Amino acid sequence: MDINSFINGFMTSLEPINIMWVIIGGILGTVVGMLPGLGPATAVAVLIPVTFGMEPVSAIILMAAIYYGAMYGGSRSSILLNTPGDGSAIAATFDGYPMARKGQAGQALAISAVASFIGGIMAVIGFIFLAMPLADFALKFGPAEYFLLMLLTLSAIVSLSLGRMVKGFIAMLLGLLLSTVGIDTQTGVYRFTMGVPHLSDGIDFLIVIIGVYAIGEVLYNFLTIDHEKKEKKEVGKIWFTKEQWKRSKWPILRSGPLGFIIGVLPGAGGSIASMISYSTEKQISKKPEEFGEGAVEGLAAPESANNAASVGAMIPLLTMGIPGSGTTAVMLGALIMLGLRPGPLLFENQPEIAWTLINSMFLGNIALVIVNILLVGLLIKILDTPAKVLYPIIVLLAFIGTYTLSYNVIDFFLLLIFGVFGLFMKVFDFPIAPLVLALIVGADMEQNFRKALLSSNGSLDIFVSTPVSIGLVILTLISLFYPLVIKAFKKKKSNNLDQSSTP
Amino acid sequence: MKAIKLAFPIVLLIISGIFLIASFNVPKANLGNPNGPLYFPIGLSALMLIFCIGYFFQELKNLQKEDDYIRLLIAGRTPKLIIVTVLLGIGYAFIFEQTGFLIATILFLGALLFFINGVKKWKANIIVSLCFSFITWYAFSQLLGVSLP
Repeated sequence: MDINSFINGFMTSLEPINIMWVIIGGILGTVVGMLPGLGPATAVAVLIPVTFGMEPVSAIILMAAIYYGAMYGGSRSSILLNTPGDGSAIAATFDGYPMARKGQAGQALAISAVASFIGGIMAVIGFIFLAMPLADFALKFGPAEYFLLMLLTLSAIVSLSLGRMVKGFIAMLLGLLLSTVGIDTQTGVYRFTMGVPHLSDGIDFLIVIIGVYAIGEVLYNFLTIDHEKKEKKEVGKIWFTKEQWKRSKWPILRSGPLGFIIGVLPGAGGSIASMISYSTEKQISKKPEEFGEGAVEGLAAPESANNAASVGAMIPLLTMGIPGSGTTAVMLGALIMLGLRPGPLLFENQPEIAWTLINSMFLGNIALVIVNILLVGLLIKILDTPAKVLYPIIVLLAFIGTYTLSYNVIDFFLLLIFGVFGLFMKVFDFPIAPLVLALIVGADMEQNFRKALLSSNGSLDIFVSTPVSIGLVILTLISLFYPLVIKAFKKKKSNNLDQSSTP
Repeated sequence: MKAIKLAFPIVLLIISGIFLIASFNVPKANLGNPNGPLYFPIGLSALMLIFCIGYFFQELKNLQKEDDYIRLLIAGRTPKLIIVTVLLGIGYAFIFEQTGFLIATILFLGALLFFINGVKKWKANIIVSLCFSFITWYAFSQLLGVSLP
């Protein structure tokens, strides 16, 4: 670790303006994240325009704060309404809501905030030690390795779309195809522009992101807009008992590193981290029967894991420029627009940005635990805001955000097209992250593929020419075939069981 | 229900088909490998077509199965809400530069609120659309320096 850069980053993160952005981002993220149906990706997508005109370092701090703020916020609605903001907050409903039903909502909110804080801090420490070695390692990558790394990320995110692999592949391929629209940067050839000059620069991925995440999400929520609103549980005193802490501390400390590691892996994110930590804790618990009935450790563990995963997910984004999840893909899109190119060179050329961000995560987690304990009574009043007022406002913010990208109202039509497309993707149970991720990395992926082939005079051997590339190919194959093997294995097992039970 | 269940796979099939045909029509490059710009789109669209065919038959096999989300999509006032929101968005695009940000936004947000939140809550709708339009105009154009019409 470069101590000077670390200290410089620490000092920059302590500048009042940056502290202000950490707090604002954290609160905004918490607020959007706690709204039922809206997760961190939507929070970052809707709030992208707020970063316009800002210094890149402040913008990245704000976006990261929105991200982990939304992770904190997501569990508020899980605990109080049994309605998770997104996938990573689902595990918080298993024991969080039963706790609230037993009159322990305040304890549940407090333990979830503290668990998120500890998980987040543990992950930031991991980040500090892992970021530089990974960035140094990534510096050795050539075009072939970069292409394979992107392929691994995409295949992992598709194969983790549990039970929806075909849909995941379609979403990914569509994202890659959309990334080819516009002028081919290597040859100057126009592709799929249909004679529309506005498309010659390609389809702005931020419009797709805002379309599918903001407009698509609102249209999707129209499906249940007239349903009866769930009753919010009373909060009461926001702190936990000594006994609850005793039961939670080890699950929190175990789940933090676990969540962090899962977050670093391509494709895996908060949802998987929280589910794995929940099931792990249930398996090793002396009282597994209490899980699902309001066991405090069943809430603490996934909360620690998902927040750690959100920090971990920033590692591949910052060190290699490859986002590993939907939310970090949204962040990458916004950063590119601000003129920042995350990747190994970020730590060499602009170390102050990288280290300021890392240090701001410490401050952000401290600010968020305070906000989520002291101001939670005030913040959860937002859950009382009628959805019928909220959704039009989100739609408006999406339009304004789109306009600020190119100052052209033609993009409003693209926004609506992708919004409706996002709605149908959700209704037909398509994963959205592969589409967004593929769209963002698609252009780079193609260019790296062609550069690699150019350097090898068209020979595909270049993709298995180094230990790193062979390793990446093997990992990609494992990520693609592992779910199929598991499925076949389970089928065989159930067939054997059926046969043995037949007299 | 059955027609809607098949509609999305068919749309995806059409999209992949169009991309495949258009890929073959991409002009050849004058620089480097003339087919360089074609390989990626052709490969991707062919693969997408294969997966879409698989998905179409998957849906065809499950055609009789009830789907809660598709039922909700066509139930009650949901289709109307979706269509009107999209139409209002199109209208917003047309008046945005003609009338300027503030007037267009008040009209757009107001219309959306009246439609979604109901006419009975007209006071809240008017207050929210006026206040929020002004706040966003002030935040973006004055605080963030975004140039709005």
